[in-house]
Amino acid sequence: MGAKIGASLLLAFAAWMVFSGDVRPPELTAASRAALQTPLGYPQLISIEPLPGMAGAMCEWVPTSASGRLQLIAALQQEQMEARAVATSAAEARPTTLLDREPLRVIRNKYPIYSAVALDFATNEVYLQDENLFGLKVFDRLANTPPTAAFTEPKRVVSGRKTQMDFNCALYIDPKSGDVYSVSNDIVDKIVVFPRNARGDVEPMREFETPHMTFGIGVDEATEELYLTLEHPPAVLVYRKQAEGKEAPIRVLEGPRTGLADPHGIALDTKNNLLFVGNKGQLSFGKGGQFFTPLLPQRPAGASPTEPLQWDQIGTVRRENLIPGSGEFHPPSITVYPLKASGDTAPLRVIQGPKTQLNWPAHIFVDEEHGELFVANDIGNSILVFRATDDGDVAPTRVLKGPRTGLKHPTGLFVDTKNNELWVTDMGTSSAFVFARTASGNTAPLRTIRSAPSDTPHVVIGNPGGVGYDTKREEILVPN
Amino acid sequence: MGHPQLAAFSRLAKENTPPTRVLAGQNTLIGRNQHEVWHEPIRDELFLPNGIPQSIQVYRGGANGDEAPIRVIQGPKTELVHPLRMTIDPLNKEIIVPDILSVLVFPIDGNGDIAPKRKLNHRAGSAAVDPIHDLLVLVSAGGRTGPSIRIFDRTASGDEQPRAVISGPHTGLESTRQITLNPERGWIIVSQTLQNDEWEPGDYLVGVWSINDKGDVPPRWKIGGPKTTMVRARGVALNPKHKELIVGDMVANAVFTFYFPEIF
Repeated sequence: MGAKIGASLLLAFAAWMVFSGDVRPPELTAASRAALQTPLGYPQLISIEPLPGMAGAMCEWVPTSASGRLQLIAALQQEQMEARAVATSAAEARPTTLLDREPLRVIRNKYPIYSAVALDFATNEVYLQDENLFGLKVFDRLANTPPTAAFTEPKRVVSGRKTQMDFNCALYIDPKSGDVYSVSNDIVDKIVVFPRNARGDVEPMREFETPHMTFGIGVDEATEELYLTLEHPPAVLVYRKQAEGKEAPIRVLEGPRTGLADPHGIALDTKNNLLFVGNKGQLSFGKGGQFFTPLLPQRPAGASPTEPLQWDQIGTVRRENLIPGSGEFHPPSITVYPLKASGDTAPLRVIQGPKTQLNWPAHIFVDEEHGELFVANDIGNSILVFRATDDGDVAPTRVLKGPRTGLKHPTGLFVDTKNNELWVTDMGTSSAFVFARTASGNTAPLRTIRSAPSDTPHVVIGNPGGVGYDTKREEILVPN
Repeated sequence: MGHPQLAAFSRLAKENTPPTRVLAGQNTLIGRNQHEVWHEPIRDELFLPNGIPQSIQVYRGGANGDEAPIRVIQGPKTELVHPLRMTIDPLNKEIIVPDILSVLVFPIDGNGDIAPKRKLNHRAGSAAVDPIHDLLVLVSAGGRTGPSIRIFDRTASGDEQPRAVISGPHTGLESTRQITLNPERGWIIVSQTLQNDEWEPGDYLVGVWSINDKGDVPPRWKIGGPKTTMVRARGVALNPKHKELIVGDMVANAVFTFYFPEIF
C-alpha cells in the first residue's frame, strides 16, 4: 500500500515537472525514472496494443488529390456506418421515447375567417363559410355588430369532424329547399350538403366525391346542374345537382383551348346562357390535353340516358399525366363560355390585362338583372364590377376600394338584387360587410357582421403544408 | 386554400400575432401549391416550389408584399412535373426537388429553362441533405413500397439504390410529409399524418431517427399525444439556436413550436 502511494506521488511529481514548463535535464531524468522510463534522447516504444478487428479489406492509402481525399472521406464514412450498423441491427428492441409535451407557442387565428357568403331569402339569413375554424355560421341577414361589441353571436353553427368540412371555400344555398352545399378546397375531396336547419357537429345528408382542389360552385336551377371549378388540372366539372357518392360529372370543360388557368370563381348567367370563370393564371398541361374526359365512364348500351354513372376512376387522375416542364404563368382573367360548353372549347370572351386591375380574382358573381359581373379581388383589396359583356383589356365600371370599406383580401361575395345589396367576406378580417349594390370608391359598409373584436390582428394561415425557419431574421416561414 | 401567401412570423409569435411580412399577389407567382419553403442564410434568399406551373421560385430573403421572384426555374428542360417540395444544400450549392417521377437536382443559382445537373430515379415526397455526412435522405408517403425513409449518398444518381432503408411496422410510419435533418447530430426528423382522429398508444406525428438507422426500427423519439394539441402534422423545421422544433399542422390550421433540446 505504501509503495503504491509512493509511486503515485512520484508520477504526480513527474507530471508536474513535465507540464510546468520549467524542466532541467536532471529533473527530467528524475521525472522519467519516476514514470518508469529511461530518457534516451529520441522517441521510444512504450506500449503495444492490438487494434480491434475490422470487417472488410483494409483501405489502401490514396494520394491527397481532390478525388483521393473524397475517396478517403468516403471510406472513413463507410467504416463508421458499418460499425454502427452492427449496433442498430438490433434496434427493434431499442426503446423509443414518447414526448407528449405542450408546445411553447402556437401561431393560429382563434377567430373565424370567412371565405364565402350566401343568402337564404326564405329565412332572411346569411350563411358565412368559415375556412379557418371549418364550419358554417348563420346570422340574421340584418345583423349589424355594434362598434363597441366584441362580436355578434351566430344563430346557428354547423361545424365539427362529422361535417367533413375542411378548407371550405365556397357555398351555395338552394333557393327552394334551403339545402346548403359546401365546397372543400383541400383534405376532403367532397361536396357535402346539409339541410336548412342543420346545427352542430352533424353528418351531411348527402355528399359526392370530387377530384382534388375544387373551388367555386354555381347551380343552374332550371336544369338542375351543378358546376364546379377545379384549380388543377384546370377544368369545370358539371354534375347533376342531386349527385351522390362516386357519381361521375355529366360534362367537363377542359383542354388547352379553354384558357382555363388555375380557375377559381364561377358564375352562371342562365338568362343569357353564359358561363363565367375567374382564373388566377397558373397552369401546366396534360398529355393528350385532357385529364378527366378520357376517364369519364361510358354509358352502357341500352341504359337510360338519365341514369347517373359511377366514376370509379376518380383517383386515377394522376399527375404523372402532366407534361414535364409545360408549366406557364399567365395574367389573371375572366373567361366566358356558352353555358353548356364542354370539352376543349375556346372562350367566347376573355377579360384580361392591366386595365382590369385583376389581382388574384377569387369568387365572382353575375348580376343577370343588371348585366354586371362582380369580382372579389383578393390582393387588390377591392371589388371590381365589369359589364357582363366586357371583353379584352378593359377597366371595371366600378371599383369598391379604400380604408373605409374595411376590405382586406376579399374572396367571397354575393349580390342581393332583391334588397339591392352587395355582401363581401374577406380573409383578412373576421367580418362580412354589406354595401349598397352600386357602392363604389372608398365607401363604408351599410352593415358589418363581425366575429372578432374590431382591433384583432389576423393571422391568415391556411393549410400550412410546410414550414421553414429564417435564422438570419429569426422568423418562422409559413406558406399557405 | 382561398388565399395563398408566404407569411413570416417572429419566432415568438403566438395566437393572433400578425406576421412581420407577407408575400402575396400576382407578381409573386405564388400559388396554393407550396408545401415547403427554405431560407438560405448565406445568400439570404427564399426558395419555394410551385406545383401547378412546375417551377422553383427564388426571392430575396426579405421579400415582402407583391414582390416578384429574382429567379424562376421553369421550362421543358427542367423536367419538373409537380414540384410540391424541395430542399437546398447551401454547402454544395444545390436545389434538390423530390418530384413525382424522380429527384431532380439543380444549381442553387439556377434560373430559367435549365436541365437538372443530376437526376435520381426514385419517387419521393420530401427530401433533405446532410452535407456533413454527405447524405441525401428521402421520405415516401406510401405507394407500392409503403412509407419509408431512404438514405442515399448525396450525389446518388440514376438507378442507384439507397444505402439504408427505414421501413416496416415497427417504424410507425403511416403517411410521411416533410423531412428535415440535424446534420451535426445525425438526426432525421419526419412529420406525418395519421389515419385515426383520436390518439392511440404509440401514435406520433413527428418521429426522429438516426442517419445510422436502417430496417424496421422505431424512431428514437416520438412527438405526439394529446398534450401537444396537434392534429395532423405536415411541415417540420428546426431552430438550432433555441433548440426548437417547429411543426405546421394542416388540420389544426396552426404552427406549433416545441422545445426539443434532445436532438440538438
